[in-house]
Amino acid sequence: MGSLLTIQDLSVAYEARSGPITAVNHVDLELHQDEFLAVVGESGCGKSTLGLSIIGLLPKPPARIVEGSIRYKDTDLVRLNGNKIREYRGTEIAMIFQEPLTSLSPVYRIGDQIAEAILVRESRKSGKSTVDSEFMQRTYKRTANKLKQTARMRHRLSSDLQEEVIRYLKLVRIADPDQVLDRYPFELSGGMTQRVMIAMALSQEPALLLADEPTTALDVTTQAQVLKLMKELIRKVRTSILLVTHDLAVASQVADRVVVMYAGEIVEDARVLDLFSNPMHPYTSGLLSCIPSGYKDDSELTPILGSLPDLRSPSIGCRFAPRCPHAMGVCSKQSPQLLQRGMNHEVSCHLYGQQN
Amino acid sequence: MANKTETILRTENLRKYFPVRKGLNPLSRREQRFVKAVDGVSIAVQKGKTAAIVGESGCGKTTLARTIALMTRATGGKLFFEEKEIVEGKIDRSEIYRNMQMVYQDPESSLDPRMKVAKSIGEPLHGLMKWEKQVVNEAVERSLQLVGLSADFADRLPRQLSGGQKQRVAIARAIAIQPSLVILDEPTSALDASVQAQILKLLLKLQNEFKLTYLLITHNIAVAKYMADFVAVMYAGNVVEYGPTRTVISKPRHPYTIALISSAPIPDPNTRNLLQTEIKGEVPSAIDPPSGCKFNPRCPFAEGICTSAVPQLEEISPGHFVACHFVSKTA
Amino acid sequence: MQSLILKSDSAEVPSLESKSSNQRLSSAIRSFFSLVFRNKEGAIGFGIVAIYLGAAIIVLIASLLNITVTPYDPLLQNVGPSLGGPSLAHLFGTDFLGRDVFSRVVWSLPNDFFVSFAVVAVALVAGAIIGSVAAFRGGLLDELLMRFTDVIFSLPALVIAMVIAVALGPGLIHMMFALMVIWWPPYARVARGEALIVSHQNYIEAARFAGQRTLGIIFKHVLPNISLTLLIYATLDVATVVLTYAGLSYLGLSVRPPQPDLGEMISTSQDYLITAPWLPIIPGLVIAVAVVGFSLLGDGLRDALEMG
Repeated sequence: MGSLLTIQDLSVAYEARSGPITAVNHVDLELHQDEFLAVVGESGCGKSTLGLSIIGLLPKPPARIVEGSIRYKDTDLVRLNGNKIREYRGTEIAMIFQEPLTSLSPVYRIGDQIAEAILVRESRKSGKSTVDSEFMQRTYKRTANKLKQTARMRHRLSSDLQEEVIRYLKLVRIADPDQVLDRYPFELSGGMTQRVMIAMALSQEPALLLADEPTTALDVTTQAQVLKLMKELIRKVRTSILLVTHDLAVASQVADRVVVMYAGEIVEDARVLDLFSNPMHPYTSGLLSCIPSGYKDDSELTPILGSLPDLRSPSIGCRFAPRCPHAMGVCSKQSPQLLQRGMNHEVSCHLYGQQN
Repeated sequence: MANKTETILRTENLRKYFPVRKGLNPLSRREQRFVKAVDGVSIAVQKGKTAAIVGESGCGKTTLARTIALMTRATGGKLFFEEKEIVEGKIDRSEIYRNMQMVYQDPESSLDPRMKVAKSIGEPLHGLMKWEKQVVNEAVERSLQLVGLSADFADRLPRQLSGGQKQRVAIARAIAIQPSLVILDEPTSALDASVQAQILKLLLKLQNEFKLTYLLITHNIAVAKYMADFVAVMYAGNVVEYGPTRTVISKPRHPYTIALISSAPIPDPNTRNLLQTEIKGEVPSAIDPPSGCKFNPRCPFAEGICTSAVPQLEEISPGHFVACHFVSKTA
Repeated sequence: MQSLILKSDSAEVPSLESKSSNQRLSSAIRSFFSLVFRNKEGAIGFGIVAIYLGAAIIVLIASLLNITVTPYDPLLQNVGPSLGGPSLAHLFGTDFLGRDVFSRVVWSLPNDFFVSFAVVAVALVAGAIIGSVAAFRGGLLDELLMRFTDVIFSLPALVIAMVIAVALGPGLIHMMFALMVIWWPPYARVARGEALIVSHQNYIEAARFAGQRTLGIIFKHVLPNISLTLLIYATLDVATVVLTYAGLSYLGLSVRPPQPDLGEMISTSQDYLITAPWLPIIPGLVIAVAVVGFSLLGDGLRDALEMG
């Protein structure tokens, strides 16, 4: 499997009044073709920042890419400026977010929004500029001769467009797609709007789909449906997925590989079966024992003591050391490196020695 | 069900309907429609135990909790707290809240941002017990200790605390008055995994120490499993299954419960339970629910009678109740 | 995602010792000043306002103790040449009766400020209470209060002032009263908006669990939490009252000559605009600078608070 995305030594900082906060600290990550990667961590670990930097959606002040590279198919995305990034964002690299309702425009119908996404894709393919904020209005007025599909006025989609929109709605398992076409986002449930988001993202035929906590706001049964869908789709449309989540259980259900982050750093990177059967980093095993699993009178729940570190004044040495039950002397003096310690299993911890 | 003398909380056919706003047309012939958030719920909570109400959004569990907490007036049915019926118009809140307190889901909004921690924790003591300052201060200090916060937290403001710390303060406030019943509304849903574990353990410890009764509202099966002695599963305003936790979760009999439990992600990449489940459809409208059993459009076992008759809770094994016409199919 | 930045940014370093009430007051003052001086606008605005306020307070005390703090008695005529220009002896020149303009301006400061602060204070308190009660109770009470607010809001300041001037006669207190009657509706609206948000927070319900009743909750929880927005609005608003009062005084509805009052001074000297321009212009400038000062201060405070 070829490598689709290679992140090397990436560091991202936020400028705060009291000084810079390093949200992502020297991160190395690789995502392969057709792979489902989950980035797991608690709040403040930098996983969302990581996702946003890949797609170039970081709020540039106060955020700042301090160093490192994000190589997507031989192009370093970090080096690209605003306009260039747009050629990738929403096209090769698509993203869906946690709150589906705020991701869709409330004033346009579902069908129209998906149609817009399709038209953007088509015009990108035919070489036209996609940097047009008036696109939605113009699609209704313009009769595009070069494009095979047209969108006429009075909010009626041409039959070609409509067919394709319905195809995508069916792809994401939405029942009654011809009715959903005419609905507004507020009329749909959370699960359905999230599926519409996925449909819109996929209509771009992206090579990489970033999903930032896409099911956190959904009910558990809806979450199951959406996760199942994402897993199916990766086979069908050959889109690689990078899923950002705080929920290790969710990651275990769908991911091929799991990366665990803590306080801006990657502490473990392994195939999903290896991570759960043989968690190497104390934080990973701590997280696993935090998940309630048994019944009231017979289970052991071992919380991780302490709380998340203050990223404004990061300590020297391993950032997890203050909370680690296995901390040694060297842990508070020297930062561990992310090193390979098993088959496709990397961990950043002094317990496993520092020589590679 | 539970031995009557040990029941701290009981509801009989409790209903809470919210009227749907009519249009502006005064001549409109449309009848008043209602959102039937809680549509006939009868539960009993044993003293010293934890009863979990489990369900997804829109099932009515939060409305049920708020009705029990007297924050909203019931539309019908009866409510008994400590064996005494709570009658509309004759409610003495100060008396009731001395024994019933609540911890909310969102730690950010459950503390007054302008009040110091000590003042927040002491508020129920001032308001309900009318103790003097010195007594209150001592109680506040003790409360802080019990929830694992050092005394210097007393003077902090909420914005100086983390989410987990805020939730501990909320718990301290709830137990300061030593109530018998604490309603926990998704107490850890907004917290990180590591903090969640700390809080759950804390809650269990406090329950053991003070023989507290918990009414736990949650959508998280794992949390219900870990904390509760009894589980009631709610769907579209009704309890569809009720019984001891072990029974309901390991041997669910209602088709919805089966779907719900199999949808809860278990951190085991070998079994991947999620990918095996299949549940179709969406939660029904609360204004116009399906006739008969509200789950029938999504139920794989639905047959004729399911669309016409509402199933009642029936005891299928000691203490285990299910509301389903074809419960035998899930054995 | 953005909340990550705000949370860790605004979380102060927690204090470990408890504070006595004196320390708490001084820390409140210190945080106020830290907000004020956080940006240029706030600092400059505060400087201007401080000068005016200081002068106004001194003059107020002086008038009560019957001592003169200005170079000349503001009412004394012919202390200088009639219509004399600004000079070393008379910083702002003299008017057509030979009175020292500087002294007159200084002595009129308390009028504007006293009225402005009083009006805003009353409007703030009345508006806050009305708005909070409306938002918190909702329903019919909300409708009634807000429609009443709308009615008062539609009354024009000038017309009311004139009506009162006709009914009760002109004068400082009467004008202040007139302004108080119609100044509070915007505060009620802002308060209602803020109170609506606050009312839905869980800590309000938690207060019920603590045995608090409606009134207690409004005063202990709602009002303190909406006060910041209202205070900032009030600071900006003082400028508007200063201007409006100056207008009323210009129309002769307030203090009558020979008592000095800035607006009135402009109106009686406007005929001399060509021959002795300092007479109408200087009082006008004094008002303008005061307005700018309050506006800058209000802007600065608002920006500082929005930055977190």
